[in-house]
Amino acid sequence: MNTLAYLVPLFPLLGFLVNGLGRKSLSKSATGVIGSGVILASFVVSLLLFFDVKSHGATIATAFDFINGGSFKIPFAFQIDQLSSLFLLIITGIGFLIHLYSTAYMHEEESHHFARYFAYLNLFVFSMLLLVMGANYVIMFIGWEGVGLCSYLLIGYWFKNANYNYAAKKAFVMNRIGDLGFLLAVFWLLSKLGTVTYGDVFANYSKLSSADMTGITILLFVGAMGKSAQIPLYTWLPDAMAGPTPVSALIHAATMVTAGIYMIARSNVLYSHSEVAQNLVAIIGLATALFSATIAIKQNDIKKVLAYSTVSQLGYMFLGLGVGAYTGAVFHVMTHAFFKALLFLGAGSVIHAMHHEQDIRKMGGLKKKLPITHITFLMGCIAISGIPPFSGFFSKDEILAAAFAHNPVYWGLGVAGAAMTAFYMFRLYATTFLGTFRGTHEQEHHLHESPSAMTIPLIILAILSVIGGFVGIPELFVHDGHLLKSFLSPVITEQEHHIEHSTEYVLMGISVAVAAIAILFAISKYSKNPELGEPAGLGKILADKWYIDELYDAVIVKPLDALATFFKNIIEKSGIDGIVNGVGKLVTYSSRQLRLLQNGQVGGYILFMVLAMIVVVLIWVNDGYLYKMFTSLF
Amino acid sequence: MNAIIFSALSGVAMMFTGIFTTNKSAIRNVAVIALLGLIIVNLLHSYGIFVVRVNTHSMLQFETFGLFFNTLVFAATLLFVLLSGKDVTNAGTYGAEYFALIFFVLCGVSILTCYNSLLMLFIGIEILSIPLYILTGADKRNLKSNEASLKYFLMGSFSTGILLMGITLVYGITGTFSIEAMRPAVSVGAPNYGILEPVGLLFIFIALLFKVSAAPFHFWTPDVYDGAPTVFTSFMATIVKAAGFVSFIRLFDARAIEMGISWKIILPVIIIATLLIGNITAVFQQSVKRMMAYSSIAQAGFMLFAVYVNNDMSKEGILLYTAAYSIATIGIFAILTRMKDITFDGFNGLAKKHPVLAATNAVFLLSLAGIPLTAGFFAKYYMLAAVVKENGAGALWLVIVAVLFAAVSVYYYFRVIQAMYFKEGEPEITEVSGGFKTALVMLAVLIVLIGTFPSALLNWFYF
Repeated sequence: MNTLAYLVPLFPLLGFLVNGLGRKSLSKSATGVIGSGVILASFVVSLLLFFDVKSHGATIATAFDFINGGSFKIPFAFQIDQLSSLFLLIITGIGFLIHLYSTAYMHEEESHHFARYFAYLNLFVFSMLLLVMGANYVIMFIGWEGVGLCSYLLIGYWFKNANYNYAAKKAFVMNRIGDLGFLLAVFWLLSKLGTVTYGDVFANYSKLSSADMTGITILLFVGAMGKSAQIPLYTWLPDAMAGPTPVSALIHAATMVTAGIYMIARSNVLYSHSEVAQNLVAIIGLATALFSATIAIKQNDIKKVLAYSTVSQLGYMFLGLGVGAYTGAVFHVMTHAFFKALLFLGAGSVIHAMHHEQDIRKMGGLKKKLPITHITFLMGCIAISGIPPFSGFFSKDEILAAAFAHNPVYWGLGVAGAAMTAFYMFRLYATTFLGTFRGTHEQEHHLHESPSAMTIPLIILAILSVIGGFVGIPELFVHDGHLLKSFLSPVITEQEHHIEHSTEYVLMGISVAVAAIAILFAISKYSKNPELGEPAGLGKILADKWYIDELYDAVIVKPLDALATFFKNIIEKSGIDGIVNGVGKLVTYSSRQLRLLQNGQVGGYILFMVLAMIVVVLIWVNDGYLYKMFTSLF
Repeated sequence: MNAIIFSALSGVAMMFTGIFTTNKSAIRNVAVIALLGLIIVNLLHSYGIFVVRVNTHSMLQFETFGLFFNTLVFAATLLFVLLSGKDVTNAGTYGAEYFALIFFVLCGVSILTCYNSLLMLFIGIEILSIPLYILTGADKRNLKSNEASLKYFLMGSFSTGILLMGITLVYGITGTFSIEAMRPAVSVGAPNYGILEPVGLLFIFIALLFKVSAAPFHFWTPDVYDGAPTVFTSFMATIVKAAGFVSFIRLFDARAIEMGISWKIILPVIIIATLLIGNITAVFQQSVKRMMAYSSIAQAGFMLFAVYVNNDMSKEGILLYTAAYSIATIGIFAILTRMKDITFDGFNGLAKKHPVLAATNAVFLLSLAGIPLTAGFFAKYYMLAAVVKENGAGALWLVIVAVLFAAVSVYYYFRVIQAMYFKEGEPEITEVSGGFKTALVMLAVLIVLIGTFPSALLNWFYF
């Protein structure tokens, strides 16, 4: 099975090379087939690996020594275990559906841009696979940087639009800030343990002092903040919707943002031994979940709502990680991948039908015109709202139950967030699909259901969103029903938490009831009378995202700009340039003078030589006197 | 021993070739074959196979280092002949005789790499120098060439006089020419020779400093290199200069300690002066040929580090330096001989008209400047590393000074690259054949290869 592991990232890499290098000569259909085919191939291999791991356990495939310096070495190795094989399935499976969808969605692009798009997409998947498969933090970091780069390339895919380029830059810079934390953590680990290989690190965690442990885990979490869009590094993700919609689906569901969750779940041994870091993760996660949920309530761009909902859902996952429900977090990654990919692709289908209109105030009543999109989108909304027996219910409930065991306040706030989630999702649903059409005649005339390359992925994802939760049925309903937990148990040491069954029923009941009420309220409020005007008061603050972008701009960007201007105009112009030019002038000046020594007269030359000889002999006769004097100076 | 005999015989054979044929390409072929033979017999020596066994009575002593250096120099000469053989035969009236003189120079080199007696040092230096005086004046209708030859001869004689004076003093006080016999002098109970022996050695060193064109004994270099036919400048600046260094190192190996600690201040001063004069003066030159003359002084400053510190690393370093510097300089001069206008302006726009020439020339210049991935980088690195290894942090200031001057050198090397790539112009150039270009590309590849795997060359040294 070792060699099979190499194939998983190899296929997308090949796809990237073929599509990237052949972008001028390949036809669109060829590009589409290659681009999607390589991911499908990876998916098939991932399935084989998954079943292999299921029956035979984890393996490590070492290709070669990546870095080899003295006593420490970093192998280029892949670790195929329960956690990574599960992520492989999510990445390649959802990834494939998104690729397939893209072949239709991006069809209007010129053929070499189309190929560029697929090349980036393949590279994105490749990087994510590297991130997940690496058997040590350095290989993970390669993938970690790779997804950062690819997100930059894809968000700025329509590079002629300056705003999109700005969004791409923002995503890259925000990620880089997080990456610094990750890098520092890796260096810290290396200096304390001399290894970055997971197996060795986790086996030797007891050698780390508690301060080291806290420092490393917090720095790793800083990395996760950037990649997984948590406070304070979340603002890039909503802007990342500048890229084509399937890219958003890829970033939000299958790749990129789940990297942070994966990394912390992977390092669960470390986190379980640092209470400070765990609490920080939980608090940041919860705060992000609530904060972005409030923003989502007042957004009018279909993709923005979904983007903030992703940030919010990621917050739940971190909450789960923070309270020790690692399986719950991974479970939520999986179900979230299903329904968020579904929602984004559904939104893409709507945007496609509406001729690139993204404002939900100009939609409405799309239910009849886009029946498949409508029904699948509804499935996604129910799933994300946590209504049983849809997938989101099981994963969210697991996290909330663990949060309750940890601290009931966490649970209470979590349920409030869940209510907001249900509310804004159905606000979105009602405004878009119910009521009457509010767009132009032109748009109404052209409304059409999307081609089957787009609807088939929607249907598959909808099915997964509905039934995906059954792999993690809580103990409460079925004894040993949590297949995922028993599958992941070799790599994830769950922190035990005990709640009475009766309490759990009550908690579950409350959260479902609250979500249901929020749904009904949203539908009744927005299906007939969607809010079309500009919001005021608190609504305006929410619509303007709590002015966080403006705050960052004023506190960080502007002062930095001012400092840069100062350096550029003052320090560099008169300081650095002055020194550099001064040295240059000095050299040319002395060159002009020294040149005159060479006057062409042999007699002169010999005179110089004789003088030099006399000096040399004099120095020698002094018997080191000068040398002693010279050395005493230093 | 093989090399000394065979190179002398080849020289004679080349002279006779000149009588039998005037066909220039035939002459070149004979020279190439003789050089190949020279390399082979020298390699045979390493395996203990001798053409003629001669008892030298310990006047010569063969060591791996010297033999390897011979091979390196012969190989460089071979490259030189392959690349510029045509220009050698065209430099003046007598084609074959120039090759004969080159072989005599090689004979001198072979002696200088293995001498064990001051007399052999003197003979080696003279065998090396006298053909060079003639080669410098090879273009006898050219006044500049004549002037250079005369200047070289005058100043060369002066330095020979100093050398002889030094040898006389040393012999007079110690009663022996053998550098080997003098070695135990540093051990306990050695006789104290007073002031005369070190002063004699000082004179010998000064004469050698003259040969390697270290400041302030460098004055002949720019005038001679500039005046000599370009093709012979190339030969002088590389092969001959490297031989000077090896003879220097050999002597220093034996005698440096007796010079007392004063030498530790004299030599750094000379190194810095050499780096200063070479690098700074090169900045203002308008002619690339003259710039290369100053650059050869500057490079000599770096090579002097191998004299300043005497350890295994510096020996590896000087070998690497010789290889790197010779290959690059031979390449640059080969291109220079084809240029009609040898000022910097003459190179304007070369990249557009002759991309291969410009690209290879750029590689050579980068190597001389010591940019990584070229042989020149590791050559400089080994030199400086040897200094740090020997003297620790105490010599760090010297290393820093050297690096600063290396930075200055980038200026004038890159001026050529700038002219070739970033300026518009119509460079005039004589016919270049495909073979010439191939040879240039091979040299450039060699430079990059050595720059990537320097240990490959050095491992060969240890067999």
